[in-house]
Parts: sequence; structure tokens; C-alpha cells
Amino acid sequence: MTIDGLPPLKVLRPDTVDDLAKLISNEKGAIVPFGAGTQLSFGNPLRSADTAVDLTQLSRITEYVPADLTIHVEAGVTLGQLHRTLLENKQFLPLDPWNGSAATIGGIAATNAQGPFRASGTIRDWIIGMKVVEVSGKISKSGGRVVKNVTGYDLHKLYTGSLGTLAVISEISLKLRANFERTATAIAQFGDARAAAACLASLRTGPLQPVACVWSGSNNEIWLRFGEHAKAVEWQLKNLPKDADWTAHEGADEAAVWEQLRQRYNGFGPVVVRVVGLPTQVHEIIEEYRPSGWIAHGLNGIVLMRLDSGDEIPRIRQKYRVVIERAPLEVRRGVATFGITGAEADLMKKMKSAFDPDGRLNPGRHVDGERL
Amino acid sequence: MNRDIVARLRGFLDSTCVVEDETELLVYECDGLPLFKNRPDVVVFPKTTGDVAQIVRVANEYRIPFLPRGAGTGLSGGALAVEGGIVIEMQRMNRILSIDTENRIAVVQPGVVNLHISQAAAPHGLYYAPDPSSQMSCSIGGNVAENSGGPHCLKYGMTTNHILAVEAVTSGGEIIRLGNPAGEPIGMDLLGSIVGSEGTFAIVTEITVRLLPKPQAVKTLLAAFHSVEECSQTVSDVIAAGIVPSALEFVDARTIEAVEASVYKAGYPLDAVAALLIEVDGFRDGLEETASAIVEICRKNRSYDIRVAKDDEERAKLWLGRKGAFGAMGRLAPDMITMDAVIPRTRLPEVLVAIDRMSEKYGLGVANVFHAGDGNLHPLILFDSRHPDQVDKIFAMSEEIMKLCVDVGGSLSGEHGIGYEKKDFMDLVFSEGDLETMMRVKRVFNPDGLLNPAKIFPSRRACTEVGKHATTSTAEIGKRVEAILLGSPEKVQR
Repeated sequence: MTIDGLPPLKVLRPDTVDDLAKLISNEKGAIVPFGAGTQLSFGNPLRSADTAVDLTQLSRITEYVPADLTIHVEAGVTLGQLHRTLLENKQFLPLDPWNGSAATIGGIAATNAQGPFRASGTIRDWIIGMKVVEVSGKISKSGGRVVKNVTGYDLHKLYTGSLGTLAVISEISLKLRANFERTATAIAQFGDARAAAACLASLRTGPLQPVACVWSGSNNEIWLRFGEHAKAVEWQLKNLPKDADWTAHEGADEAAVWEQLRQRYNGFGPVVVRVVGLPTQVHEIIEEYRPSGWIAHGLNGIVLMRLDSGDEIPRIRQKYRVVIERAPLEVRRGVATFGITGAEADLMKKMKSAFDPDGRLNPGRHVDGERL
Repeated sequence: MNRDIVARLRGFLDSTCVVEDETELLVYECDGLPLFKNRPDVVVFPKTTGDVAQIVRVANEYRIPFLPRGAGTGLSGGALAVEGGIVIEMQRMNRILSIDTENRIAVVQPGVVNLHISQAAAPHGLYYAPDPSSQMSCSIGGNVAENSGGPHCLKYGMTTNHILAVEAVTSGGEIIRLGNPAGEPIGMDLLGSIVGSEGTFAIVTEITVRLLPKPQAVKTLLAAFHSVEECSQTVSDVIAAGIVPSALEFVDARTIEAVEASVYKAGYPLDAVAALLIEVDGFRDGLEETASAIVEICRKNRSYDIRVAKDDEERAKLWLGRKGAFGAMGRLAPDMITMDAVIPRTRLPEVLVAIDRMSEKYGLGVANVFHAGDGNLHPLILFDSRHPDQVDKIFAMSEEIMKLCVDVGGSLSGEHGIGYEKKDFMDLVFSEGDLETMMRVKRVFNPDGLLNPAKIFPSRRACTEVGKHATTSTAEIGKRVEAILLGSPEKVQR
């Protein structure tokens, strides 16, 4: 196995969190934790990788209390495994990262991975507690097992999205929600980008409350997913924006169309970036940069764009925040993944030093590897 | 206080923005938790972010502690100037800077009252969701510091889920911006770390909040029960049925007695042992069915009186009792302490029974009015401060309640924070190592410990941490509370 072209000297596969802590405390060099491996090329290029730590054996659901709408899982539990367990009690976690149900919860948290369900927030909004193993081998926790809690600092938010550079996420407590009584997805094509943008504008000020709202592709498709009480879904389907030919999808058909969109995203390349603006700027972003493919979150102002190379990223960064979602190693070597600068970058670098003074956890992956 | 410091502050702040008169400072010697008092040396009222940065730089230069304060409604002593120093009162930074209806965001200054955001957004059909019970007076900056909750957090989440970006002044006096209006965390979630850090990481000077569209329809109902168990079981059954109410509030008999005797009279049934105030909102279509399903669950659990509000007027009346409950407690006792703890909601019945037993053991009345849907308890301990022995009992009883909640899998605070009040209970939840990690993060934001010292961490740890600043343990303060309550102006410790 190689990660960013680096072959680790060894791969550890701990069976328990205590094992993980023991193994890490014994290591001396660079440590690279990973789960399903779906996001291993996300972030700035690794500087070194002495020991890879495979967390997939940490796959226990340690506690599930359906009546409390909480679940506590080890980092290696996959999203698919989690959803299958929750389904038995008609519950779910509203996350559908593009890397799919094989992704582990720990990996989703470490990368803050997201998908069309972005309208409901990201995993940071559902995590209520976390256990991590620090580079010294110390296990520490934040939050707890209750859905509402302001005891101590929300360090789990700090670890979320930090790409395993502060500590190795080992256990996560999540709050859940009950299944929607009914879900349905309506899709329509618009004649041009202007018409699609006008549809999104009407949605932003109108009464509909889609749980996912996507604008994608050269056919200017708008995808709207509704989830609610069955009658509320029905009302929304009846009150879709006019002047478009909507097709509704439900059940297996609905799952299949979202899978198609996921495949569309996964087929993007060679460079995919996440451009962060305002919802009202989505049209402007697409018009200005004319990507060869895109998936925009119409209610959040986030546009996932397919680019032919990394050359354009610095220009886009002059106006918007840009994160490189996916790119060949040579592109990531030349352009910073997050583009974090100034006082924000200084704070993150200090945070990295406070947790990992010798720079051994995923060295170079985060701000410590940003080349600006 | 060193006269030079005040002169420096007066150098860039208007004369009305610097308060050092001993009598005027009395107002700022405590927040909504009057059990702990200490007078700051000076209170300043910045009008701009630049003012805040300059104040912080002066404090750093003279190595004196400083802390932000909003409306002072906090209930855990978060705005207590434990070591004196400079209180930075944010109330004059109280403008709503913009409301962007199409992007559903508002940019506000920290001194804006929570409710005023919703009022300003209302003409556009929007509102700001987190609604602490003090929303008519608490400030949004304080809400950010405490990660405040409220009845509607069950469905809509806490403050942290609605803050998209902030401008803040660091403990060193630098101005930073974190987050973005899209609400997209990029890299480490520093914004998420600052929200709820109880004013120990930075001083927030501008806040971008998410606004939500007002729901098409709302249904509010009150269900009365003859037993706590049946009432609690109803809470579990509603959640188990897959219904996510926008609020699910519990009021006990003592609360009902107080409310019905007060100006907050809401028509709650006086013979109820417990009652639930349940609200659902959303699309008009389907809401009637959801409300009917709730009524059915209440009936199954032997609710003997269920009232569904017919219109907004009736709805407002039902809420009046709940929102006014804290104020109504004055009917029952001269003084009251609002406790805040959180438990898994399935453990409600046993915890309420245990608290009832404690009430008898300590001879102190307890009223229970709380957010049952998310297990956020608020035992209100009633006492008379003219009897110092009752103050001792409060400390003992609050410790026992905290231990109980932690033992059943809960935690120390659901929405008020740890502040000064509960810092010595942190060991119940977190190990030495956990706290050391939290402190390490605090040191990144606040390396000298000058920003809001002696909060959150247990006293012995805070002493080590702050080093040169004297700190006061809860026990020491406990002894002095007696003197304070008896009218002595003596400071807790300097």
C-alpha cells in the first residue's frame, strides 16, 4: 500500500481502543490513521508515513439507546453498518457523503465529508461526544452521551475536519433522528443556467423545505429531496416551482437516482474543488468559472466543480474560499488544499503544535503542509 | 486599581464608557447567579471592535484579568469577575448590521437581544431559532459564549448549529474572523470551538446567524397527569413514535402552583402532579395528524386533561406559564437557585423521584420545570437567604444532584454552562487527562489566562493554570456567601 506515493513501513490493525492507545504510545515516527481509505488523498500531501493505522477493526457499536435517539460507535463502523442498525428502529443519521456507505464514521468525521444532505448540516452537527487517542497514547474525551450538553469545551468540533492531525478519533457519540414518514425526490431540467438559478432563487424565499437541493450538469437539472410527514411531502410535491416539468422519484427509484448523482460526482476529475460562497452566488460562480461539470448546493452556496487542472484555483481563491476535494498528487503539491491564511492559520498551527509538537500525526496534511 | 490603567482606558473611550465608581460597580458584581459576587475594578462599554481590541491590549500590557459580559443573564457565574479586573460590557454594541433575506442570514453585534433578531426578521417571514427562556433580555453574544439552548432546541438545535461566522478579538488583542456565511467549516472547526467556550477563548464582536423560515403552522397542547411516571413515559413514547416536537416541556405541581398564583397564570390544572407543554410545527398539511397522534399517546399514558390551543392567543397563554415559571417562584420562597443538568431522557422518572427525596432530606423545596424532550433538567431550589444554614444546604444538594445526573449517564449542564458555579464538579465527568487536553486548547486561545480566569476548570487546576492570579475555591466562596447575603460588602477574595 502507498499513501500519497509513500509506502508505510508497517500497518497496525488494533482490535480495541485500548490496543490503539498502546500501539500509538509505542510508535516513534509518522503515524497515518485510516478507515475505509476512501479519502486518503484528501488534504495536503503527506510528508512521511512510517506507520499506517488501520481502524477498520474498531467496528463495534458500543451502545445504542433508540429511545434516547443516541448511538455510540467505534471509529471503524461504516455508514452502511450504522444505517442498517438504525433502520431496525426506524431511525437514521442524515448524512450521505459522496464517498458512500463504505466510508467509516471516523473517516467521515476526520474529513467532515458531506453529500447532498448538506441542507441538514454536516456530521459536526450530529456529534455529541468523542474519544480520541492523542499522539502520546493518551485517551481523552469531550462531550458525552446526551443530546444536549455544554459541559466543557466542544473539542469534538475541533477534531472534526482536522484530518487526524490533532489526534486519532477512536469513538463517536451521535444523536439521531427518526425516519421521515415519506421521502420523495423531484427532478427537473431547465433550458439554461439563468432559468435554473431563478428556480433556486424562488426556492430560497418560498415555502418549500427540501432536505437536499442540488443543481447539476449541463442540462441544468435541479434535484429536490423532501422528507417529512407524508402529507407535508405531498403538499411540497404539489407546490413545486412552476414552469418546469418535474419528475418525482420514490422508494428504490429514488435511491437509484441519488446513486446516479453520486457516480456523476465520483466520475469528476482530474481536479474537483469545493467553492464556498453564498447561496445567491451559486449562479455567479458557475457562470464565471464555467466548469466542465458541477454539483451545487443551492441552499448553502457550495459548488463542487470539476476542473481540468489546478491552475485556476488561485484565481478562484481571490474571491471565494476553495477546498481541493480531489486532485492528483502533483496538483496538491503545488496548490494548498484549504487555502487557510492569516490569524486563522496561525491559530490552527498553534493548535497542531499543542497536540502534536513533533508533527507526527499525518504530517503535512493540514495547515502544517499548506503551500501558499 | 492602578490609576494609569483607567487613564489609558479613558484615553480612547468616552467618559460615559468607563465606570469605576464603587456604587455603580455593584451592578456588575454578579450575573444571574447572585450566590457568587465579586466587584470588578472597572467596567468599560466598547462601541466598536477596535475599542474591544484596544481594551484587551491595555489589559495585557498591565497583566490584569478581563472578561466580556452581555446582559448578565447567565446562571452559572460565567460573567463573574472572580479576580476583579476589567469587565468589558458589550451592551452598547447592539446593532443589527444587516438582514439578508434571500440568503437567510443576519449579521449582528453581540449586544443585540436574542428576541430582537427574530423581531427584525419577522416581516420577512424569518426568525432566529434558539430561544433561551431569557430571550427577551439575554444578548446574542452571551448566547454564543454559553452555546445557549431553549425549548425549541429539541427540534432546531443549539446556538452552535445556527452561528455561521464571527468576528472576534483574541486574548492578545488581535481581530480575527472565523467561519463563513455558507456555514461551511474549512479545516479545523475553530468557530465551533469558540461557541460554548464561555468567554475563555476570545471576545466575539460580530456574529453571522442563520435565519429560518417561520413554520406554516404551529400546534401547542398541554397534557396533565396524575403521576410523574405517566408524564415521563409520554415523553419517551412521543420520541419513540418518530415525532420530533419543536418543544416538549415538563412542569410539576409546585411550578403550577406558583404560576397559577402569579401574573403568569396560564390556566394550568391545579390538581396535576405533572404536565407537559408540547408544541409541533411545520407544514400545515400533516400537522393536525401529528397533533392527534400526540393526543393519543397522552391518553394512552392516562393524561386526564388535554388542551389543544385553538389560536395564537391561547397558545401564547399556555407558553406564558412556562416562560414565566422562574419569575413566579417568588410566590413560594424569597430566593431561588436554577440548577441545570442533563440526563438521558429515558432516565427521567427515577431522577425526578431521587430529587424529590433530596428535597425532603435537605428540607428545601424544589420545583421542576424543564426541557423534557432532551433530558435537560432545571430543578429550582427554593430557599430563604436570611437563613445562612439553607445556603450550605444548597451547595450540598446541588453537588448531590450533579452526582446523580452523572451516575445515570448525564452531564453537568445542558445549556447554562459550567462557569464559576460548577467548575469543581468537572471531575465528576472528565478525567485528569481529559481536563488537561481541554486546558491545552484553552492555552492556545488564551495563553496567559488573563481572559475570564478561574472558570470551567476545578479550583486546584485553575490555581496551577493561572499561576500568578489568586483564585478562590467554591468552598471559600461558600463561607463568604453567608457574609455577602447578610449584607457585608466584603469582596470574596482579592
